[in-house]
Amino acid sequence: MDTRDAFRHNVLTSGHRACSGCGEAMAARMVTDLIGPEAIYVNATGCLQVFSTHNQQSAWQAPWIHSVFANAAAVASGVEAALRARGEDTPVIVQAGDGGTFDIGLQCLSGMIERGHDVLFVCYDNEAYMNTGVQRSSSTPHAVRTTTSPPGRVSEGKHHLKKDLISIVAAHRMPYAATATVAYFPDLRAKVDKAMRIKGPRFLHVLSPCPLGWDHDAALSVTVARLAVETGLFPLIELEYGAVTGVTRLARQQPVEEYLKLQGRFKHLFADKGGAEEIRHLQALADANIRRYGLLDANTEWDTDRASQTQRHGRGGYAASSREVSP
Amino acid sequence: MNRLAIEPGSTVAYHTGDWRNQRPAYRDKWPPCGQTCPAEEDVQAWLALASDRQWEAAWRTLTERNPLPAVMGRVCYHPCERACNRAHLDTAVNIHGVERHLGDLALQQGWRHRPLTDQQQTQQVAVVGAGPAGLSCAFQLARRGFPVTIFDAQSTPGGTLSSGIPEYRLPKSVMQGEINAILALGIQLKLNTRIGADISADTLREEFVAVFLAVGALQPRTYPDDGYGDHSVMSGVDFLRRINDGERLSLPGQIAVIGGGNTAIDAARCARRLGAEVTVVCSQDPHGSHGGHPGAEIPASLDEVNQAEAEGVRLRYRMGVQRLVRSGAHLSGVEIARVDQIHDRHGRFNPVLFEGTEEFLPASLVVFAIGQEVDWRGLEPLVQTETSGIFVGGDAAGKPRFAATAVGSGYQAAMSIIALLTGVPPHYEHHDKAEVTFRDIKPQYYPRQARREGALMAASPGEFSERVAGLGNEAAHEEAGRCLNCGICFQCDNCWHFCPDAAVIKQGQGYRIDDDYCKGCGICAEECPSGHIDMERVAG
Repeated sequence: MDTRDAFRHNVLTSGHRACSGCGEAMAARMVTDLIGPEAIYVNATGCLQVFSTHNQQSAWQAPWIHSVFANAAAVASGVEAALRARGEDTPVIVQAGDGGTFDIGLQCLSGMIERGHDVLFVCYDNEAYMNTGVQRSSSTPHAVRTTTSPPGRVSEGKHHLKKDLISIVAAHRMPYAATATVAYFPDLRAKVDKAMRIKGPRFLHVLSPCPLGWDHDAALSVTVARLAVETGLFPLIELEYGAVTGVTRLARQQPVEEYLKLQGRFKHLFADKGGAEEIRHLQALADANIRRYGLLDANTEWDTDRASQTQRHGRGGYAASSREVSP
Repeated sequence: MNRLAIEPGSTVAYHTGDWRNQRPAYRDKWPPCGQTCPAEEDVQAWLALASDRQWEAAWRTLTERNPLPAVMGRVCYHPCERACNRAHLDTAVNIHGVERHLGDLALQQGWRHRPLTDQQQTQQVAVVGAGPAGLSCAFQLARRGFPVTIFDAQSTPGGTLSSGIPEYRLPKSVMQGEINAILALGIQLKLNTRIGADISADTLREEFVAVFLAVGALQPRTYPDDGYGDHSVMSGVDFLRRINDGERLSLPGQIAVIGGGNTAIDAARCARRLGAEVTVVCSQDPHGSHGGHPGAEIPASLDEVNQAEAEGVRLRYRMGVQRLVRSGAHLSGVEIARVDQIHDRHGRFNPVLFEGTEEFLPASLVVFAIGQEVDWRGLEPLVQTETSGIFVGGDAAGKPRFAATAVGSGYQAAMSIIALLTGVPPHYEHHDKAEVTFRDIKPQYYPRQARREGALMAASPGEFSERVAGLGNEAAHEEAGRCLNCGICFQCDNCWHFCPDAAVIKQGQGYRIDDDYCKGCGICAEECPSGHIDMERVAG
């Protein structure tokens, strides 16, 4: 057991093989430390599973099961049913990438929600199949360069739009579905805390930048995630039983270029006239999100300024504290 | 265990630290407020304590360098606020307001300065002048166990603070309170003692191992005599001294004040309170007209100018005096004209007036506040001989002549004197750390917050009571909390939350980097709000 840090459990501890600056490792560390080690984690195939369990070594300091790509939600359903049969109420968490959620795992996820299993499904969305070499997924946004959607003479990157998964999931009329990013820790913490207080199927969609696949500086993982929110491209919302019940308002809106220009996967858009048209299209998509969820005028105190505010002596927030774990 | 071990176990056996080509380093910087403070206060440190409501600790940190916070919070021109990085976010922190609050709180609670040592030294030190420089020097020496005697020619201590600053800016009781607290360290104060008259310079030299001359610059620069001497003409220094001594001068209806420094503005505001119509004639342009360029803008501080104008003082910018207009000895006014150049080609203050732009400014009294010089009379044997053990500071040492500069020079003199007496080279706590500019600050982590000001109390005619109210505990606490902590860790946890590799370990106080696992991504430095973390290359 690694107990280097007296102030948190490190459910996902050091020595894992994620790339330098990995947004998914960051997101998984935040979410799992917020939930703590008293839970059963089911992990679909994907980057997270590969980099955290390498050469027979595990970075997990909690019960952890690897399923195949498609069936993480089904495995979790079984684990939850077994626990229920034994009269135990250990939380069950599914972790999957966008491939294991948007594409390959979607039918198992839908079934799990439909059957009402008491499971939190967390999707760490890095918007492509990064682990196998950056192939496009249905989560890849429009106009992105991947190895299977290369820009060139006849193409401006991925032709299709990013799948609106949160709406699909929420359409199951489930108790709780929310989006979050690594950039606004207080926002993420509030959503994990809320999800853990609710019974039934819950879904958390965490945008996790990938320095390798998105082709940005490793130091900018948080910055890029923040800009995804501030441009309106990735709205932070909460849905309960299909209805939007919470919105993180944008203190100010940034033009999409601010987000795009930091990432190599959008570099081709700045090269020619066709690219400029795609930038206008992406701006229109961001504006549509802002209108749809009222991101600029939502009647709430909770905005991006408040959600990034720091405090002297920390803003705390992990399940472990110095009292619970001795240094 | 070998890092390539493949036997089942935890990944912590595998040290990812050797992937990196750069590593983060926690490093305190020197924020611009402290950097520009003439008294070298560690402003950020005491603001941080004040934002934690550790009022007494904040006051003790502040008084390490400046034993006169209630005074300086009122009279200092606060260059710290002009340098404050927060100005680029919304408005600068009201540093002087918090400083004043700490000083007032100390007076109210009766906090006493603590000596730094129990050891009593035997070598006697003399300080000439009980102004801010002399008091500051004596304070630093006394705290370190040196017996100090302060001599002052006046009947009250405080120097220019007492004779030059009107009661509405600095109540006498506040100044006296802080001086008493300094003297309580066991400093002897001999008032009404002029060196060269009441005690000779040679006696001083014999009785004391070291002498600190902080005699101020009280000799007013005069306007060339037009044949009628000082009839209807007064210097700003004398004018203010008489008013500060409690004299309620009876003034004529119209007064012209010549000069643009704080002395001129103080004199104008005092004359206004005594019922006169006052016009200030100053060679420079208003604040902000040259982007803060020193020399081209009025040297008096902006707040003072604004309050003076609000009180009905008229200002004539970029005008100079051509001649005094008299009918016989009777003064009927001043002929003023537009200033062409303020400085000559050597950079000296020497205004040239435009011919043909003359105006007549009616006035029955002219107050010249055009600068002051040092009066060395009686001190010649001390300053002319090449003897060691004589130190000069404060206004007497040259420009800039600000109270805070005097406090700073008092500290430096004390350190030099101790070095001389103990034979140990001077130990200045020089802050040679890196600077922090707004580019190092991550504004997204600081919410916008309005600056809290001390309330401006209504000015009633003839009143010399204080104009600006203190902040009070709540506002001072909030104001201190607006500090960005430039370059200093305030334990916000950002680096700890964001590290993808759990390579940032939180400790009781602060954090440490676990080099075994840090991959050198640089997210911690990128997301550090205050610019406390640097990334440095590592050979590899």
